[in-house]
Amino acid sequence: MAGPVSEDEMNNRSYYRLLLIGITALIPLSLFAVFVFLGTYSWPAIRFNGLHFLIGKTWSLGNLYANPITLHGAVVPRGARYGVLVFVAGTVLSSLIALAIAVPVSLGVAVFLSEGAPPRLRPALSFIVELLAGVPSVVYGLWGFAVLIPFVAATLGPGLKHLFGWIPFFRGPVGGGYGLLSASLVLALMVVPIIAATVRDALSKVPLEIKEAAYGLGASRFEVVSRVMLPMARASVIGASILGLGRALGETMAVLMVSGGALNYLPGNIYGPVSTMASFIASQLDSALQDPTGMAVRSLAEIALLLFGITVLVNILARLLIGRKGATARA
Amino acid sequence: MRRMFFVTKKIAPWAVAALSLMPFSVPPAVATQRVTLLETGSTLLYPLFNLWVPGYTRAHPGVRITTQGTGSGTGIAQAISGVAQIGASDAYMSNLQIKQNPSIANIPLAISAQTVNYNVPGLNRVHLKFSGPVLAGIYDGRIRYWNDRAIQSLNPGVRLPRKVIVPIHRTDGSGDTFIFSQYLSFSTPQWDQNVGYGTTISWPALPGSIGAVGNPGMVQAAQQNRYSIAYIGVSFSREVAKAGLGTAFLKNRAGRFLLPTPVTIGAAANQLVAKTPKDERLSLVFAPGVNSYPIINYEYAIVNKHQPNRAVGDAVRNFLRWAVDPRGGNSMRYLSQVHFMPLPGRISQLSKVQINEIK
Repeated sequence: MAGPVSEDEMNNRSYYRLLLIGITALIPLSLFAVFVFLGTYSWPAIRFNGLHFLIGKTWSLGNLYANPITLHGAVVPRGARYGVLVFVAGTVLSSLIALAIAVPVSLGVAVFLSEGAPPRLRPALSFIVELLAGVPSVVYGLWGFAVLIPFVAATLGPGLKHLFGWIPFFRGPVGGGYGLLSASLVLALMVVPIIAATVRDALSKVPLEIKEAAYGLGASRFEVVSRVMLPMARASVIGASILGLGRALGETMAVLMVSGGALNYLPGNIYGPVSTMASFIASQLDSALQDPTGMAVRSLAEIALLLFGITVLVNILARLLIGRKGATARA
Repeated sequence: MRRMFFVTKKIAPWAVAALSLMPFSVPPAVATQRVTLLETGSTLLYPLFNLWVPGYTRAHPGVRITTQGTGSGTGIAQAISGVAQIGASDAYMSNLQIKQNPSIANIPLAISAQTVNYNVPGLNRVHLKFSGPVLAGIYDGRIRYWNDRAIQSLNPGVRLPRKVIVPIHRTDGSGDTFIFSQYLSFSTPQWDQNVGYGTTISWPALPGSIGAVGNPGMVQAAQQNRYSIAYIGVSFSREVAKAGLGTAFLKNRAGRFLLPTPVTIGAAANQLVAKTPKDERLSLVFAPGVNSYPIINYEYAIVNKHQPNRAVGDAVRNFLRWAVDPRGGNSMRYLSQVHFMPLPGRISQLSKVQINEIK
């Protein structure tokens, strides 16, 4: 076979190469295209809103039934102001709380699946966890709406308030269950399978010899898991958590159904209503289309751009973390 | 995709039914006989369309009409974009919107009203009294407790609890928000200046206030949150009763406190029939007259006068003509079930003139 290669063959190879490069380039190109589209589309809004966009708490489409006015060189409805601090706070808080709940739970699930569960049941249990990761988010949202909200309002909320009322964020009115706590719990439920499945994979890849060596040195089962296996899987744990965070940041439907749709104010405590960036875009697009000047839709696009930016940032951060800490482990 | 969001987040039992209809809600194909129309928008009109459509299509097997309750904002947006042939809205379009979309007609189909409902344990059987300024105070945070002096003075002798009021508002673009905020704007200069009215308004920052989606969401949220107050379309009064919520007397322009009844809704409508312009965009909120219930409105079909083809244009025109006809959709047989009132004769005529322009 290793004879001289014909000219045709060479041509074929280079076409093939070009084709692959082209297909591969589609991915970064589409990412770039989304960025450029969002940037150019929201540019009038970026100019009009300025820095107030990030620090303002008031989102107002203005008076859509009066004639628009010209303000800072832009034609906008009278009284229009677009501040997204409330949505940024809702997004970040709900995602971080969700992650704080989900990571320990996921680690427990992963350890159980790889070490604790009876070997014969492991494939079935793992399959169920992976299945949960694929359930459409609206299903979780419906569950949250029908089951979780009454539970939070009647039991969990008052219980947390009773136990942790000395912490300011757990004090105050519990409300009707719509809010940050419910949103975070639904998000946590959605994120657990993602993290658990990834970490379980990593744990199962820890070489048997290393585990045996640890046992041989007299380590208990708990010590093997906590001192040997989990540190080796650290990069995976971080990576999976960031993956889960990404999903939580962008989750739309499930959050929309349980968050209470707060507008213009920050949550006073963990039970208070919130809005997230993604759910706000989804719920307000049709309202924004009522704005004849178009500034409302462009401001929604600016939210999308911001969400896009945050997601990219989170992923870069994850890369850096894995790159640094993953040097010792290869799981 | 967008439409799907709005359907799915309704979550009411019929959300499942609406979802199962999704595949059919594509714009109608040019069929020789069969035409499919999509109606979407106002959740206040949704129950009426669900009564109308079976009645109409039984007699007219050539059309199929899909209905969706997605909020008036969506109704207007999708009628303009052409996704829906009939957009349902409790709000008329603004002057500038009409200027930008001159081919869109706002056609009244019936007269509706809105109730203010509350969930105050022990008082839900009592019809509490509210005025526009007091409601404005509740929604902008100047009145925070149920036993506030402003509420108490309207309801002498009622033992109001010292509990924080939970105001509930719509988060979707909503004609109910439109007419409710008009009531506040027309009765309270301070609200008019600071907030104003619209299908989506910037609700004053009020920690603990709740956003809900659609009228079903409002009923649900009011039921689940004790000490809440909400504005709900009259077509949901059965659900309101089932949820055990209280219904308020509202103060009208003449200073009387009224409940929405055929008499008080009709009285308010009669005050403004003569003022209704040819394009029929007029607010009926806070009408003069001692017997006028203060929050009533025309329920609009938002329709493009230039439909994509003749078959569709004919189907839309015929259906709407039937809808405004007192022997058809405007008979009390349909309207009384959702507590709407039929169009007065002159308005019915104006609507027919607009309907006839649909091509």
